[in-house]
Amino acid sequence: MASVLKRRGRIQVRLDERERTALSDIVAQLQTHITRALATTPRAYDDETMQGEYDRWVRPEIDRGYEADLDVVRDGLSAGDELLVLTEAQVYAWLRAFNQLRLAAASLLSITDDGWEAEASDEFRARPEYGMLMALGWLQEELVAALES
Amino acid sequence: MATPLPVEAPVRREQVVREPGWNVIVWNDPVTLMSYVVLVLRKLFGHDHVTATTLMLQVHETGKAVVATQPREQAEVSVARLHAFGLQATLARL
Repeated sequence: MASVLKRRGRIQVRLDERERTALSDIVAQLQTHITRALATTPRAYDDETMQGEYDRWVRPEIDRGYEADLDVVRDGLSAGDELLVLTEAQVYAWLRAFNQLRLAAASLLSITDDGWEAEASDEFRARPEYGMLMALGWLQEELVAALES
Repeated sequence: MATPLPVEAPVRREQVVREPGWNVIVWNDPVTLMSYVVLVLRKLFGHDHVTATTLMLQVHETGKAVVATQPREQAEVSVARLHAFGLQATLARL
């Protein structure tokens, strides 16, 4: 089973082949929906002119960052190693990527309000995106805990 | 030897106008993990764990929280970094 540990300042992520394949599939399936999820992100400014400048000069850099974070995850998973030793920068890239993917899954599940976990029906829990949301959330929690330890 | 003339103090005409700060606001979303929000607030703003947790709970319970007040350019960078971490954030003039 997947595990995340902190040893000598490095984060070690242990994923067997089945888990790496499953995670790679999740990334592949959800990455195309990230743009849709980002459409719900609130604006930086109320002011139209300032927002326009933000969209023109800042937003592209953020979007490139999302892609770079996904690349870091994909590179790690495709290395073929059961034990991945990540630098702190790589861990943050994984965390950011997982968050974007979770937002994409939530968008596909039409989650808009708090309390969705408690109200989730069996049918809702059976949806693949729900499983992806949970799996990514578990890994995110483990990575945060390892960083904080 | 020439006698130095007295120097009059220059009249300063310029005024330093300090721009009021801008609030960096984080908004609630139903998906992002609480522990992740705390981590991000600690990393980006140097808050201790208690402060970051208090702000995260304020976001969760009231829908938003001011996590920092900074000059505009710095606040915009902060919002961009929050967006990069996938958090919903805006900035507003004080």
